[in-house]
Amino acid sequence: MNAAWLPMTALATSLLVVVIIFALPEDARRLRTTINLAAAVVKIVLVALMVRRVAAGHEDIFSFQVIGGVDFVLRTDALGVMFAGLSSLLWLCTTVYAIGYLEGSANRKRFFGFFSLCVASTIGIALADNLFTFLIFYEMLTLSTYPLVVHRGTEQALNAGRVYLRYTLSAGVVLLLGAVLLYSLTGDQSFSSEEGLGNYLNDHRGLLTLIFALLVGGLAVKTAMVPLHGWLPRAMVAPAPVSALLHAVAVVKAGAFGILRVVYDLFGIELSVELGVITTLAVAASITIIYGSLRAIAQEELKPRLAFSTVSQVSYVILGIGLFGPFGTVGALAHLLHQGLMKVTLFFCAGNYAEELGIHRIDEMDGAGKRMPLTSIAFTIGALGMIGLPPVAGFITKWYLGVGAIQAEMYWVVVVLVASSTLNAMYFLPIVHRLWFRSGPAHGKGSWPKEQRLGRFETHSWLLLPMVFTALVSLGAGLFAGLPFSPLDWAARVASGEYLP
Amino acid sequence: MIASFDAIEVLLALFLTASALVCLFDRHLVRACCSFVAFAIAMTLAWWQLGAPWLVVAELLLGVVLTGLCFFYALGRFLPGTSSRLKRDTFSEPWSRSAIRLLLALAWFVMVGAAIRYVIVDMAFSPSEHPLLLAGVLIAACALGAFALHRHLLRRLLAFNLLGSGVFMLLAGVAGTSAAAQALISVGLLVAWLGSMLGALLIRQLLHLEGVEALGPDGEPREGVT
Amino acid sequence: MIWRFGLFDSTFAPLLHTHWALLAALGLPLLLGTLAALFPPKRAWPVVLASVPVLASGLVLLSAYDQAGLLRWQWEIADIHLSLRLNGLSVLLLLMTQVIGVAAALYTPGYLRLSETGPLARWLWPLMGVVLSALSLIWLATDLLTLYAGLELMGLAAVGMLMLSGKVPALVAGMRYLLLALVGSLTYLLGVALILGHWGRLDLQGLAEVIEPGPVAWFAAALIGAGLALKAALFPLHAWLTPVHENAWTPVSSLHAALVIKASLFMLLQLWSILLPDTFYAPRVIAWLGMLAIVWGGLLAWRTDSLKTLVASSTVAQLGYLMVAFPLLLGPDIAPLPRALAWEGFWLQLMGHAFAKAAMFMAAGNLILATGESTLKGLAGTSRRLPLSLLVFGIASITLMGLPPSAGFTAKWMLLQAMIITQQWWAVAALLIGTLLTAAYVFRMFRYSFDETAPRHRYQPLAPGMDLIALTLALIAFALGLLAHFPLELMHGGSP
Repeated sequence: MNAAWLPMTALATSLLVVVIIFALPEDARRLRTTINLAAAVVKIVLVALMVRRVAAGHEDIFSFQVIGGVDFVLRTDALGVMFAGLSSLLWLCTTVYAIGYLEGSANRKRFFGFFSLCVASTIGIALADNLFTFLIFYEMLTLSTYPLVVHRGTEQALNAGRVYLRYTLSAGVVLLLGAVLLYSLTGDQSFSSEEGLGNYLNDHRGLLTLIFALLVGGLAVKTAMVPLHGWLPRAMVAPAPVSALLHAVAVVKAGAFGILRVVYDLFGIELSVELGVITTLAVAASITIIYGSLRAIAQEELKPRLAFSTVSQVSYVILGIGLFGPFGTVGALAHLLHQGLMKVTLFFCAGNYAEELGIHRIDEMDGAGKRMPLTSIAFTIGALGMIGLPPVAGFITKWYLGVGAIQAEMYWVVVVLVASSTLNAMYFLPIVHRLWFRSGPAHGKGSWPKEQRLGRFETHSWLLLPMVFTALVSLGAGLFAGLPFSPLDWAARVASGEYLP
Repeated sequence: MIASFDAIEVLLALFLTASALVCLFDRHLVRACCSFVAFAIAMTLAWWQLGAPWLVVAELLLGVVLTGLCFFYALGRFLPGTSSRLKRDTFSEPWSRSAIRLLLALAWFVMVGAAIRYVIVDMAFSPSEHPLLLAGVLIAACALGAFALHRHLLRRLLAFNLLGSGVFMLLAGVAGTSAAAQALISVGLLVAWLGSMLGALLIRQLLHLEGVEALGPDGEPREGVT
Repeated sequence: MIWRFGLFDSTFAPLLHTHWALLAALGLPLLLGTLAALFPPKRAWPVVLASVPVLASGLVLLSAYDQAGLLRWQWEIADIHLSLRLNGLSVLLLLMTQVIGVAAALYTPGYLRLSETGPLARWLWPLMGVVLSALSLIWLATDLLTLYAGLELMGLAAVGMLMLSGKVPALVAGMRYLLLALVGSLTYLLGVALILGHWGRLDLQGLAEVIEPGPVAWFAAALIGAGLALKAALFPLHAWLTPVHENAWTPVSSLHAALVIKASLFMLLQLWSILLPDTFYAPRVIAWLGMLAIVWGGLLAWRTDSLKTLVASSTVAQLGYLMVAFPLLLGPDIAPLPRALAWEGFWLQLMGHAFAKAAMFMAAGNLILATGESTLKGLAGTSRRLPLSLLVFGIASITLMGLPPSAGFTAKWMLLQAMIITQQWWAVAALLIGTLLTAAYVFRMFRYSFDETAPRHRYQPLAPGMDLIALTLALIAFALGLLAHFPLELMHGGSP
């Protein structure tokens, strides 16, 4: 039975919310909040439904013809549903957080409108079944994040927006060229097709390599792989929920997810290995991992440090692909989820410090653990996870990646992993140390840059709850990795689908 | 070869050319417009000569009466009080500009001449028998040169009308005076009249808003003309 | 190529009500325009009422084509053959004309009420009627005489409309446009004269059978091409376009940029496909010019400080996309697949651009009307106060940029695919660079609008519906991207 309505509804809910939010007046705050939250919950229910159906072996397809030879197709498959689940879960958290964060500020209608559009795009990206559909939502994501980046309307924000567009739109053009080249060669190629592109290997080796380079090159910009990462640290001027969403889920993950799709579902892992592009990818990912960590150490402000940490961490996903083996794949896929959870927690924390205490620089964080214990605990969990210490989710990823590297006999990857973990520790542990073991304003020494008392607890409860939730989930994903429907379990399911036909 | 020409036609052709030149290059605007009317009347006779009865009517009505009226309206001849503002246009172009325009006109003349001589061998009215056609080609060339040369809007409008007449003559020469050709030329005359009317309205409006200087330049910086 | 323009005999004769629909489609805009000159509508609802029969006539013609395929009308008056045909393409273009025309007409009452338009405002209605009727005639006509009459009628009425605002720069620019358009039409006429003199007929169907390549056909094509290119503002003959739009009224600019220049382009392609079906060089020259147009138009729009100039210059660049497709449509040895792709992409691009450009001009007009500023800097802070106008501008510019899921994207996809198959890498590069340039100037405008630090000033409220009309047009351009199958299907049908 094909429940075509399911992927369509999942997408339409978010799009409908966009329309409603834009139609509502700016002052209808309550109604907007209600609709936003209701839609987020509905979305989670729909995605849960999809997860159940996919687990039961159904594949729901919605499609119609756009032009001769090109269809618009949405399909629920394990990999797509995984990304959809991540995005819908974090959408709920980020929405709650954003409602609290933007309390009383201007242009909230515009913000939430484009925010919802952004999430609708990620759902579309997750469910797209061919490159054409994927491209539609991928570009939609680019456009819908621009107003979010420039939301504050300051000179700095506008410049960041310009840089962001320069990178992403150029990448979009490269991607478009790659996609059209592929369609000219093979016609409409579904991600679910069993055949892959192996038939074209003998006659069109060069062209296939070119297409691969164009596609992955275009996607790597959003993935923020060195040297195409320049937009990401600058985009940090955006409000904290945007940074959380952009960096944890929407934009960088869309890029990484796209690369997963291209390698596993479009080219197929065997063909990619045959073309000899996989190793290149792994090397590029390793360079990014080390370079991002090094730059992160040099940052003195919190958000840019987190941004460079993102540059480094997302490339673990790419590295996992490069390992060519089931363990590497599991590690890559699980990291897609784990890193999202942990990074979103960290950004929520950074936002809370900035809102409640006005902290932007790292050296202002001394002793904040006493003033804001929950936030600081969450931050510590996230940081430990990023370093890869058990029992937080990040450990699982690094473990699988390490095992994958050893199985693939790529020992230099193990070196990269160790080096990277050390670097991660070098830029995260000092912060944790400052939070808990240094005395600061909370101990009566100096004062916070700009303290506000936003709520009954250590800060506004709308800001606190989503952060605590994501921190707990990050912890839980590590502790209960063995249970069914945990991120790891699902990643293993996807990986077995890729390697065992 | 000359002997085969019809005497009346030769006279007509000469008169057409002469009145066209006066119309295009006389600095006195009223005289130029008068000579345009004379030219149009001559065109009427020329159509008669070429055996195109419908065009005689169309040219008389549209060309002589209505288009002529347009020009005199543009000159302000019907409105008491404003009549004396437009009399002559000044001409202070650098010689290089004039030379380039002359070359343009010559190039056009040569191109059309070559086209007639070598490409279109089976013309309805061969120019070797009908001097009117030669006049048409010449007038079109002169008018094109004048159109490119002049900046005064009324002058350009006049030049366009003469260019149109030259082209219509050429058209009749190439395609004969069949019903289709006459229809095409009639539509062309109608368009020319409508265009002239629109142009005349515009010129009056510009005069009203800005004075005589506004007619000088054509979308170019004001300083370029003074 | 010829059959694509519907130049073959029809199977069925048109039914009685189809005659009436044709008459209504051609005559009603003119009639209603005249009526409106006598009784100028102050509100939008009389216009709504008046536009119902116009749209209905288009829909009847659509269903007639759907049922019977190609339809053809012929008259013979005093040895002159006049003929009209209705094929999928002309139905589509007719519907597009009617929708954009109706939108512009609906937009007009509010616009005239809010802006100081002076006593000439009532003349806008009949001129608009003439333009719409003449456009409908051009889409349908298949003989050179009718085409000429339609072209000139449209051109003159368009000049009249553009100058109605009565400001001096508008008049000067309009006068230049008038003179150039008139000279362009004379050039066209000379080309027609050559055809008539050599082959002795004016109906396209007959000409398509008898014309063989040779110097006469080349000469005629060159003359006709030059004349029409001047009227269509094809690069490098585009210089008149921006000054004319700079001072024109908003609905007029919408109609002009969306439809009027497209008519000349349509005729150019139609006539060249008869005169030069197999030449190698002519379409390539056009394509090279098109590449320059994309870059030059983009740069013009990028460097300008005036909102209207930005929108108008982008037309030059967008026409470049269409010009670049010429070698895929005309010429020897084009494989059927790329030719079909390019054909569909060409018209989809044309339609998408028409809707988007009309919407964009309206949105720009709304912004200018509300802020009272016509420069980009004057837009500072509009994202807070005029979000809807800005949103419309944004949606329209997505189509112009060719980003998904708009008509511009689907069209670009098809054109790119055709170019890749025929290995025209230069054209591919031009198309992609065009996307980036368009994004550059569009987001330059958005950058100003998102500026929150600018001082606030009072905004004039807009009439109800002015934004919604523009939004509808922009959304049509948007929807054509994913729903492209339906209009394109229409163009497939009716092959002999």
